[in-house]
Amino acid sequence: MSKKTDEGIMDGDDPTSGADTHWSQVAQRHYEPNGRGELTTAIVYAIAEGNGVSPTEVKSPPLYKCVDAAALEDAFFGPDVAGDSRQGVGTVEFQYTNYLVEIRSDGWIQVYEPTEADLS
Amino acid sequence: MTGEPDPSEEVTSDASASSENQLPSVDILEIEPVYEALGHPRRRYLCYTLLEDTEWSLSDLATKIAAWENDVPEHEVTENHHEGVYVSLYHAHVPKLVDEGVITFGEATETITTAEHAEQVMTALEGIGASLDANQETHARSEMDEQED
Repeated sequence: MSKKTDEGIMDGDDPTSGADTHWSQVAQRHYEPNGRGELTTAIVYAIAEGNGVSPTEVKSPPLYKCVDAAALEDAFFGPDVAGDSRQGVGTVEFQYTNYLVEIRSDGWIQVYEPTEADLS
Repeated sequence: MTGEPDPSEEVTSDASASSENQLPSVDILEIEPVYEALGHPRRRYLCYTLLEDTEWSLSDLATKIAAWENDVPEHEVTENHHEGVYVSLYHAHVPKLVDEGVITFGEATETITTAEHAEQVMTALEGIGASLDANQETHARSEMDEQED
């Protein structure tokens, strides 16, 4: 895993640690494994929705750089085994730019963004 | 370092012919990445198009693939389907093929061109594809439908 150093890390406070970060959901989308679309596409559409842009405007970085969506697709929605689905249960989370993306084995994709720290 | 080589030292070789010449160069792609590159129908389609033309715009490719998948002429491809294919190429299949050294992708122009391993992938594709995948190959290598809507 290569890890880029964030510019402007505050003393003793790693913004990606998640411990003090509060996330709020900005989008969700249901992925249909048997449709024409791919999981990659569904994830990008969900991120675009959370960001309020069109899916073709989500450019950098390519999702490929953050997560192996093809592997996830196989793991959660992979080919049926002898006619039965695997019925796997699980959740995968990864970060894309400043969003937290959660993919559940039931097909729900949820996108969260960090909430502003309450500076009272 | 101790002196010169001993002239009486015999060089023995168990093979008179140099076997080095028969080893493939290290630039040859292992077979696994070739199959990895061709392991998805959209990537196979993309590679077929490269047999015909070594440079493609990402948007045109998305149009062609959408037409192929929906079995409609290119001018009937809907914006929605084009967008879905475009996104999957941009975020999954193109970066993967770039990783495997099959294509290069110009970010600014969104143009795909062949890279150093393209030829090996094409060779594999022509070998396995011709008999198994002829329809896709024919479609991928056909002219873009120029009709405007």
